[in-house]
Amino acid sequence: MSARTTERPQVRPPGAWAFPEPDEHQLPNGLRLLVLDLPGQHVLSVRVALTLPVSSEVPGTEGSTLLMARALDEGTARHTSEELAELTERHGIAWGAGAGERGVHLGVEVTGRHLGTALEVLTECLAEATFPDTEVARLARHRLADIAHDDADPGARASLQFVRTYFDERDRPHTPLGGDRDSVASLTPEHLRERHAALSPVGGTVVLVGDLSTTPDAVRTVAATLGGWAGQARPPGPPGPARRAATAGRVVLVPRPGLAQTELYLGRPGPDRRTPHGWGTYQALGMLLGGSPHARIDRVLREERGWTYGVRAGFRPRAVGGLTVVGGSVRADATAPALEELLQILSVPGAGLGEAEVRAAADFVARTAPGRYGTADAVADELVALLSDGLGPRTVTETLEQLRTLTVEQVAAAWDEVLAGPPWTVVLVGDPGYAEGLADLGLGPVSVVG
Amino acid sequence: MPLSYPVHATTLPNGLRVVVSEDHAVPTVSLTLWVDVGSRHEVSGRTGLAHLFEHLMFQGSELVAEGEHMSSLMAQGGRANATTSFDRTAYVESVPTGALELALWLEGDRHGHLLPALTQENLDNQRDVVVEEKRQRYDTVPYGSALEHACRLVFPEDHPYHHTTIGSMADLAAATLDDTHAFFRAHYGPTTTVLSVVGDVSPTEVLALADRHLGHLQDATVPRPGRTAPLPPLAGTPSLDVVDDVPSERLYLCFRLPAVTDPAFLPCAMAMDALASLSVSRLQLRLLRREESVSGVSASALGLVDGTSMGLLVLDVSDGVDPALVETAVHEELVALGREGPSEAELEASRADTERSWLEALAGFDERADLLARATAVFGDPEQVNRYLDDVVAVTADQVREAAAHWLQPGAAATIRYRRGATASTPLPDEVLATAGAVR
Repeated sequence: MSARTTERPQVRPPGAWAFPEPDEHQLPNGLRLLVLDLPGQHVLSVRVALTLPVSSEVPGTEGSTLLMARALDEGTARHTSEELAELTERHGIAWGAGAGERGVHLGVEVTGRHLGTALEVLTECLAEATFPDTEVARLARHRLADIAHDDADPGARASLQFVRTYFDERDRPHTPLGGDRDSVASLTPEHLRERHAALSPVGGTVVLVGDLSTTPDAVRTVAATLGGWAGQARPPGPPGPARRAATAGRVVLVPRPGLAQTELYLGRPGPDRRTPHGWGTYQALGMLLGGSPHARIDRVLREERGWTYGVRAGFRPRAVGGLTVVGGSVRADATAPALEELLQILSVPGAGLGEAEVRAAADFVARTAPGRYGTADAVADELVALLSDGLGPRTVTETLEQLRTLTVEQVAAAWDEVLAGPPWTVVLVGDPGYAEGLADLGLGPVSVVG
Repeated sequence: MPLSYPVHATTLPNGLRVVVSEDHAVPTVSLTLWVDVGSRHEVSGRTGLAHLFEHLMFQGSELVAEGEHMSSLMAQGGRANATTSFDRTAYVESVPTGALELALWLEGDRHGHLLPALTQENLDNQRDVVVEEKRQRYDTVPYGSALEHACRLVFPEDHPYHHTTIGSMADLAAATLDDTHAFFRAHYGPTTTVLSVVGDVSPTEVLALADRHLGHLQDATVPRPGRTAPLPPLAGTPSLDVVDDVPSERLYLCFRLPAVTDPAFLPCAMAMDALASLSVSRLQLRLLRREESVSGVSASALGLVDGTSMGLLVLDVSDGVDPALVETAVHEELVALGREGPSEAELEASRADTERSWLEALAGFDERADLLARATAVFGDPEQVNRYLDDVVAVTADQVREAAAHWLQPGAAATIRYRRGATASTPLPDEVLATAGAVR
């Protein structure tokens, strides 16, 4: 039996690593193609991002972009919905479709030998989707069921109430990306066809990542499929405004009598990824405030008080500006003291942040990067997110370089800027019996919504 | 298609099994310590202890301060986590290659020398955190009690799977510091543990480091419980109606299945696929797409080691539809699958989906380490990760039909019906009611 080593081992410095750089191709129809060979990644990840901001939806049809994206594989000129399902599933093709602030994103996971089929189906859906009445009606009903489920989930309910409270009602972000009950219920196949007709390859991005050793013709295959899709000649413009409501500095309680925990959701203005402070600065800030059980928040609320399973903090970038967000659930009878303690923790000025915690947080973000980007899907997701946001593939590597030399002063300045901005919008979902004292926390007026 | 992930397995003199898969794609290493202790190892009156240890293992050990395990790894770019299930507790880390030795040293300290740091204060605090975890994950979300109800209906009262991993809050409240110390000694030791390492390191280096930091661990564990006799398919169609404030009326049909190591398990899992997991599955085609009597349907085969596994069919009933009609339709399809077997499309889609999702799971170091540890601990052979897809392809339509006919018939289902109503009228387990405030 070996003897015990009581001396703590030294850590060797991390090995060199850079975010992998894809090859870039311009397809004749205006799509930009990024291809990255990652040996050993036997499932290939394909991503397509097309400009179609939800802010360009006709008022009253909010959610039409998301429903259109979801209905792309529900019938084409050549195949019915069921035929498409069989075609994709017999080839093990996993398909995803969504919508965001800037537009539509489609994703496919597929083994190398079925890449050709996957790209053909993807192209057929983009070019020839027909949006049959029965399928659209079914998807709309499912979306309404999803909305009901979101309303019943305290975390999802809090986030819905937050956008309603925080964003100016004149702007699209005031309404959930997927629309609300009224707008979704009114959607027709014609609404979806109109959104579909506005899709353009120009300014769009295709990303293909994975082990390409068995698909040497991958670029030609993409060019022959997605590259042949015509679409609209000109893409729609950039996303509309996302202004903060003049009344956002307040507290809103969504009553849920008897709920064993209260969901807390706090938000205020934050940066976008082009911030002069550097995006990495905010990644480190999020970590040291609310990124782990020993971060500033959970060190107290979880580990000292036992009031929560975890409260997280972070930053959500948008096209212009973004959000600082803090959220989690706390024991119902500790609602007021937990919120008070949380606000106290978050009020720490930049000068109160320490050298050691900044270094640890920055090192964590920088040194976890190789592991975070170890799979084809993670690399593809990052690439498409960067390019959709107008940034280049080198952004990750540049952010990591910034993190290596990040100073406590830089982080302090970034946090002070957040604190100097407009105050918190606070949403609580929980038992109103534990809401006493909220008005005394200096968070502005308290209102209760159904 | 046979897979060829390199696998190097060995056992240290103290009984610790070590399995290594070298891969230099990125300069990191992922490791899993898979401990053969889960909720099935708990005794009546002391449930929830296995999961509580998942928390206590981060509260410090003889040479490591409270919270330091995680913070010292994170400062090096490491991530650490742990999960507990019916059968095992898994401790996982992902670190830059140069921090592997630190990770193994930290693991050696907590897996061998936890008790000096396991104090009443730590116990009390983490008990509170677990109560909040239960509230967040089970008590405050719709249908959060479903798995607990399913286990009670599917497994008899004295069965190891009759209770779920979160356990009873009354049991946790009653657990003494001595109970927790005894539980740790009984279950944590080199012979009950598999170390799996995947990534930028050679088997030789791993073995040297594992020997240096885990080779001294001594074993004081009690013998693993013998396997419980396999249970036959359910009889008597037990059911439970739960009236609650839920967004949709929902049905759970719960089945007993063979143990995950039984060759009959895989055909059952593929029968669940044919029923509901895929868009081409019969319940999706009929109920979701054509009749539109449900807004969602899914199936899962929860593979368990102790004699009997569990299969679940979950259906969200569309507004305005009588759930009884949905139940009848499901019964018809269960009978049809047992009589005629899967369609060609269902079988081919199940194979193709399993292939892609297995390869996706193996794509990252973390999950590959987890699957290698599972293969070693559960199947007794790490090469199972390379063989699994061949096993899937070898399953015939007739085997799927037989599996459905034996295990997945209407008479073998336990049914939970969530009905919409203003208040929870379900008889919550006594011990949960009894302690709603006891642990505060």
